[in-house]
Amino acid sequence: MSIEAINEQLLRAIGVGVALVDLEKMTLGFRNDTFAEWFGPQDNASQLVDLFPALDITALHEGLKSTGQHTTEASFKLRRRTMTVAMEFNRTVDTGGPIAVLVCQNITRIKELESMIDSYSVMVERNTREIKREKDQVEKLLLDMMPRSAYEEYKSFGIVAPRVFEPVSVLALDFVGFDPLIAKHEPGVIVSELNDIYSALDRIGEQFGCQRIRTHGDSYISVSGVPDPEPEHVTAVANAAVRFLRYLKQRNESHPIKWQPRIGIATGNVIGSVVGVQRYIYDVFGPAVSRALALRQAAQPASILGEASISSLLDETFETTNCPDINGVATVCVSEQSAAAPATG
Amino acid sequence: MEQSLFDKYGGFSAISRIVMSLYDRLLDDDTVGPFFDDVDMPRLMDHQTKFISSLLGGPASFSDDHIQRAHRHMVISDAHFDQLKALVSETLADFNIEPDDIGRVLQAFEQRRPLLVRVENVD
Repeated sequence: MSIEAINEQLLRAIGVGVALVDLEKMTLGFRNDTFAEWFGPQDNASQLVDLFPALDITALHEGLKSTGQHTTEASFKLRRRTMTVAMEFNRTVDTGGPIAVLVCQNITRIKELESMIDSYSVMVERNTREIKREKDQVEKLLLDMMPRSAYEEYKSFGIVAPRVFEPVSVLALDFVGFDPLIAKHEPGVIVSELNDIYSALDRIGEQFGCQRIRTHGDSYISVSGVPDPEPEHVTAVANAAVRFLRYLKQRNESHPIKWQPRIGIATGNVIGSVVGVQRYIYDVFGPAVSRALALRQAAQPASILGEASISSLLDETFETTNCPDINGVATVCVSEQSAAAPATG
Repeated sequence: MEQSLFDKYGGFSAISRIVMSLYDRLLDDDTVGPFFDDVDMPRLMDHQTKFISSLLGGPASFSDDHIQRAHRHMVISDAHFDQLKALVSETLADFNIEPDDIGRVLQAFEQRRPLLVRVENVD
């Protein structure tokens, strides 16, 4: 077998499609087996544009003229499979005139893989967005349950170490006659009212540096000085307390249910920690909380009862009047400067 | 949480080979292949990637309603469904998926039969 014959056999057998293009007639002449498998058997009259309708003939001519080369891609159907080939035309001269050697590399698999990766990427991106949204929701929920610093600690270490915060001020609010109200109204109405009121109290408290720690029924506990120290913690809770009363007074004027708040405020230390293993909740407890609850219990409707020791810490915007001792502790009734202050009950 | 088959068998890098192999089988098959005659490659590949991912618990899941809507325009018979099931089974076996796992995948696939098959038989 001659070298030429071996060459031709090799050329025919390789997995690359090879054909010769007559550049004057723009027809295809010789084609190897792979090319024929894709585009049909040799037919010297077959036009290049018939086989590759999307081929840019002008660009082909320009490329061959300037660099002697032109590359592009073409897709076609082989049975029901979409095939893609990378085409390379190389200009040369045959005895009959100018021709180009067309070499077609099968890049179908690459294109299929690209499509698969695209599809997978879209799925993963969508999942990532969903996971992030869920994570944000969980974070928001946890931040509703505990201060950010406690949340960060929880996220990093899985626990929140109990800490003593001192000095802090505690505000305890509840409503006089809550049980009869529950009996009188639909549960949904009561819950909706409390949602509305607590949301407003949260906003007011935040304005003055107070953070709601928990609610339990009609019991609303807020503190100043936890977790970040607040030098003006007494003023903060006193400011929040008088505005809570003002807000509820105004609200009662336009709502059918008349809420009668009472507030106790106390200063001292508290322990802050996440309590519970599964149904965990950030809580503060300690002497200041207990005293605030006792003072609230003794307060008249629409009044604020505090420990007498806070008088010296409040500025002239507040008025304090002495009230009877509670559990042996001297107390004062706190009000805004202009308002009259009712006594303890 | 129980590990999905998708993770058990190596995640996307391994599953992509299964997708490609099933894609080849589908196109070569004269029973189910004709469904894809006029579907362009990216769409078909997208379909196969999601199909395998959802069967193996990967990052794709489709509601029954979605599956039904996506196949509404096709007239699928039990014979078509059986053939696709056989192709899935062969493909998974080729990639050394454990028989018990193949059984579970086919069972989940079988549960979707009423969503897809709309005619008793087609010649």
